[in-house]
Amino acid sequence: MNWKNVLLLVSVDIKSYRAVTGLRFRRFRENRRVTYALYVMACLIGVLIGLAIGNFYNGVSDITLRNLLFQGATYFFISLPTLVLLYGLVFTQMNQIQRIGVKSSVEPLYWFPISWKEHTLASILANVLGATLIITIFVSSSIFVASIFFGLVPLAVLTIFALLASVVMASVTTEVFKVLQVRLSGAVTKAAGRAAIWVRLLGSILFFMVFYSIYFSLYYNVTPIALIESIAGGQKALRFIPYVWLGVALSTFISSLWLETVVFFLASFVFIYVLFLAAAHLNMRFGLYEAPSIRISRGVYVPRTGVLGRLGFSALEAAIVRKDFRAFTRRSELMYIFIFPIIFIIMPLLSAMRGGTATLPSTFSSFLFVYLTLGPGTIMAIMLGSMIVGSEGKSVWSLYASPISAKSLVKAKYSFATLFSLVVTLICSLTTGLLTAPSIQVAFIGFVEAMLLIFSLAMVSLTYGIEGAEFRELLPRPVMIRPKWSFIDMIVCIAAGLAIIAPMIPYGLNLIFQTGGFGQTTPMSLSWYYPFIEILISGAIAAIITRVFYKMAVNSAEELLLKAEE
Amino acid sequence: MDYLDLDVRKGEILGLLGPNGSGKSTTLKMILGLVKPDSGSVNVLGINVEDDPVAVKRKVGYVPESPRVYEFLTSLEFLDFTGDIYGMKPEEKKKRVEEFLKALDLEGREGDTISSYSEGMKQKVVIISALMHRPELLLLDEPLSGLDPKSARIVKDLLRELASQDVAIIMSTHVLEIAQAICDRIAIMYEGRLLALGTMEELRRRAKMPESGLEDIFLKLTGTGDIKPVVEALLK
Repeated sequence: MNWKNVLLLVSVDIKSYRAVTGLRFRRFRENRRVTYALYVMACLIGVLIGLAIGNFYNGVSDITLRNLLFQGATYFFISLPTLVLLYGLVFTQMNQIQRIGVKSSVEPLYWFPISWKEHTLASILANVLGATLIITIFVSSSIFVASIFFGLVPLAVLTIFALLASVVMASVTTEVFKVLQVRLSGAVTKAAGRAAIWVRLLGSILFFMVFYSIYFSLYYNVTPIALIESIAGGQKALRFIPYVWLGVALSTFISSLWLETVVFFLASFVFIYVLFLAAAHLNMRFGLYEAPSIRISRGVYVPRTGVLGRLGFSALEAAIVRKDFRAFTRRSELMYIFIFPIIFIIMPLLSAMRGGTATLPSTFSSFLFVYLTLGPGTIMAIMLGSMIVGSEGKSVWSLYASPISAKSLVKAKYSFATLFSLVVTLICSLTTGLLTAPSIQVAFIGFVEAMLLIFSLAMVSLTYGIEGAEFRELLPRPVMIRPKWSFIDMIVCIAAGLAIIAPMIPYGLNLIFQTGGFGQTTPMSLSWYYPFIEILISGAIAAIITRVFYKMAVNSAEELLLKAEE
Repeated sequence: MDYLDLDVRKGEILGLLGPNGSGKSTTLKMILGLVKPDSGSVNVLGINVEDDPVAVKRKVGYVPESPRVYEFLTSLEFLDFTGDIYGMKPEEKKKRVEEFLKALDLEGREGDTISSYSEGMKQKVVIISALMHRPELLLLDEPLSGLDPKSARIVKDLLRELASQDVAIIMSTHVLEIAQAICDRIAIMYEGRLLALGTMEELRRRAKMPESGLEDIFLKLTGTGDIKPVVEALLK
């Protein structure tokens, strides 16, 4: 292991933040003092907090409270390695996710005389830097100072040692996941576009499920002391899991079980080393450049239209829809469009379902269903509509060069945005429908309204997406629509969306009052056919909006295609 | 690759020619230890690549197919990093970087991040990083693509000069004129096999085309010489 190479690579990795933050300087100069100042400040603040805690402890004269505080501090020290491991995992994962969108590669330059172990170690160390290390320094300094007052200095020193090991353990784990994720995603993308969607969707869902589960279990209805005690106790029960061995080592230390302490510490280091070897091996196996993914078949080329052709799309329009489908499922910088609706579903569902669906009032059940049927699909339609033209990026020249008319361009882009959003709506409404069991009428109205919103707002957003298309692929992540037009799009979409759902307001109010929502009784009674009339009105408004904006979109598209000739 | 047997001598420039997908880049990557052969071995300057790829890389300068570098660094930072990785002394590193930046017209832009460079400028940075540590073997994959005529000429002359200083050079290229002008020997590859290897004269004899240039010889040996019907079909 050449440590000089490792340090050089770490310094390169640190500099890669220029790409993440979008800095693009001429005559680039870095102020290293500012970088180090953050760590020093974290240490100083930690010392001050440690002093404050220590003085508070010294000032307590009640012996019962002192004992309670002492016991709490001991438990806190023991639980810290696991807590630090958890936030270490989250921060290092977030670090990796942040880099997904960065176009400049931070992958190893494989022809340099650097071994894979050096590459891997540098990546692990670099991943620890930043928020993870700052928080660890802050925690370490505060517990060390506080421990002087509590008389727990040996435990604090050992805890700090364990914290640093926890952080490395988290980073090594992230490194292993990173390689596997890249490998899996790359392999599937090469094999088939459709499979790639599922891998990325499931991967994103899994990550957010885990993240939010941890988040909610940590902060929902749990007192800090109960949390610390449960972690400290849980570690003992889970001692067969290597990730809690550092915490177990501290537990055995305060019980004066010296041999067990040494064994668990050593076992933790062996575990970190094994993970490191696994990461280095995986990097060596899969970390190289990708093999060719394109196979040229011999024969005569015939444009394919397939199902889209039967739906009335020309070969060129179908080609654009297919190309967009592949782009939005394969380009990493477009992935967050998928993640957004997932967050939209998971957050309220997790909050609402904590007490079980049976305890939900029926008004809230219906509201949740309508919210999750209307929300994700509509947001996706707006996002896709506004970004789909700008997502062409610098390759827009291929559109300029192709014999496509403005109408065909609008048709192809609009179809993709609406089709994709409809699929999302279908999945969301089915999922929440199963969980909340709304009435058939509510389900029908919710779904129809969602379709009306998608069809009209996708057209509104597409219009502004064409008008404000941003093809420059700016760092850190291509914005695809200029901010001004994005803002206008948002305002118009809100206004148009409200106009479309406005006719349904009487029905919604009636539904709330009928079911005794908000403790009110119903002041009005609507005939059974009222909702359907309201849907018709809503549909008419949506149709007018769609038609008006279609005309505008075609005009904008004509201008866009003409601009290419300038 | 299929039964490739190739020896490259010190001070020789070997040109690797072949249609797309014929295995030129794979051959270069194999020499560098990036692609493992199913059977057989690659020895570079007396070291078996499989046994110690890092030791081989230390002695080799490589210009990849596409100029992939750390674009968030300035070219000065990148070349500084490269020099450190190859263990160059600070004074030598500074001197070499300054010389190369000046020769390839990058002087004045060395403080800008590489992401702001054109493709040709990025290629120049990669070429400097491959040459600055005075490698004993140079592996160049389309080294002149994207370079302006002046820089291309400088690199070509530099390669000849390096060869005269006993540096072995293997260069893959599609530009047959360049291969004919600067390579001592030419290897023609097709679908992973070595079709022919020799000097221009030897290749002419083999193709039985004594007066022809490399383009005609190449097309004949690779069996892609019958161009006319293809062009006619495209015009239909």
